[in-house]
Amino acid sequence: MFGYILPDKPELKIREYEIYRAYYCGVCKAIQEGHGNLPRLTLTYDSAFLALLLSSLFEEQTPMEIKGCILHPINKRKIISNGEILDYVADMNVLLSWFNFMDKWQDDNSKIAYGAILALKSAYRRIKVKYPHKSQTIIDQLTHLSQLEKDHCDSIDEAAEPFARLMEEVIQYPFVRNDAVDSVQGGSRTRVNEKKIDDNTKADRYKRNEAVLPWMGYHIGKWIYTIDALDDLEKDIQNKSYNPLLYQYKYQGEDVAEFRAGLLQDIEFNLFSTLSEIARSFELLNFNQNKDIVGNIIYLGMQKKTETILGRGKCVERPIRSVGNQQGGKQRGNTKSIS
Amino acid sequence: MLEINRGASKEEIQKAYRKLVKQYHPDQYQNHPLAKLAEEKLAEVNEAYDMLMKNGSYSTSHGSSTSSSHDTDSGNRDSYFQQIRVHISNGNLSAAEQMLNQTNNRTAQWYFLKGIVFQNKGWYSEALDHLQTAVNMEPGNMEFCSALNNMNQNNRVYRDRSQQYGGRNMDICDICQCLICTDCCCECMGGDFIACC
Repeated sequence: MFGYILPDKPELKIREYEIYRAYYCGVCKAIQEGHGNLPRLTLTYDSAFLALLLSSLFEEQTPMEIKGCILHPINKRKIISNGEILDYVADMNVLLSWFNFMDKWQDDNSKIAYGAILALKSAYRRIKVKYPHKSQTIIDQLTHLSQLEKDHCDSIDEAAEPFARLMEEVIQYPFVRNDAVDSVQGGSRTRVNEKKIDDNTKADRYKRNEAVLPWMGYHIGKWIYTIDALDDLEKDIQNKSYNPLLYQYKYQGEDVAEFRAGLLQDIEFNLFSTLSEIARSFELLNFNQNKDIVGNIIYLGMQKKTETILGRGKCVERPIRSVGNQQGGKQRGNTKSIS
Repeated sequence: MLEINRGASKEEIQKAYRKLVKQYHPDQYQNHPLAKLAEEKLAEVNEAYDMLMKNGSYSTSHGSSTSSSHDTDSGNRDSYFQQIRVHISNGNLSAAEQMLNQTNNRTAQWYFLKGIVFQNKGWYSEALDHLQTAVNMEPGNMEFCSALNNMNQNNRVYRDRSQQYGGRNMDICDICQCLICTDCCCECMGGDFIACC
């Protein structure tokens, strides 16, 4: 379910890529500081995106440091060292991984998942106390999801709803929501509120972001769930696992490729309608920084992923551009070999 | 309401209806202070049209199954749908959905409203399905058609923007095309841009 939200690296400037990577490393570091080394393995690209998005919306500037880590001890890298938002994203990353492993363990009795659960247990308890309201919402939505799975829900829209709601909750950084229950975050929230009072226009900008983010989160969640269902179609048929698409389009043992081809058009429509709403929300957001990187992920990275999984990633959708790019690449390759 | 004479033919009614729907369509009143009024007007037009189509002798092929039995409560039903429309425009989707689920009256209008609710919820496969059904049941209904169109247009928003976002990189084909076109134009006007052709 994770790791679908990626930037389109070739289209990023090197400076932008470094910033993106700094967020990725920053979340990793934040997980280490909050929960120890083992949970760092659960880090996903989606979390890097979330950290980048929230920090670009709600922070004026983000301090960076150059640091080494276990994986890159010699080539030190830029790392975002700002606390609050990264800590939040790190917590959400661990929390969602915990639920993911729980699901895997319950479904397949996987030993690896069980090991991961043991490793994450204390972190999970800590996070649950830190964000009682958020973790409850996530639990509720996941319960709803597993109920739908048990009932063999035959609508991709309905099946995607719980996960979409889950992302809607996760994308709302606690101060955005003024969530009284999430009391540990209180300190940071009041500071931000003071900032808000200082500057009225900024308050307005943040308010708009606040109103847009849930809609965006909903559709990002929906996109992830839908594309995951499509991606796992073959696997689910093989393993005889639940997949809403199998029920919606009434799979009766026919050829997998044929079945997949039959539903592709509908799913494509659904995915692009969803992406359109993400694009709309993106346009309504007020960024303090890094708008181009977030735009790259939303417009190019997610499009690339969608088209790859729809099975038309090569050059069907953007024939002129991709042919052009390929040519450019080849030429560059040639000149290099000549020189 | 539809500005037609008694005894008008089906075609005449549809023509008048289409004209009015175009006139009062929300697209014409985006961010307009009179939007609310236009919406009410449109609802009245639809009501009148539905009444004529369902209960008159012009019953359409699909929606006609209930026409005779509903002569008496058609007014009720229309105000019921009207209420649902109000819920939708107020953003009260769960109330609208609940009301839709309570009625067994699966007319084109029902499918249309259900489709709109789904669309606002973000359930696009279901929305498309329902709107398509509504349009199939009443192909002449401009409101349904434009809702379906709207969905299709919406679908293109992302592709359009991501294309703009990527920027249009001039590649060799584009440049050649541009040069050849320029050459052709120059030759038409008696000049020449590329001497060899």
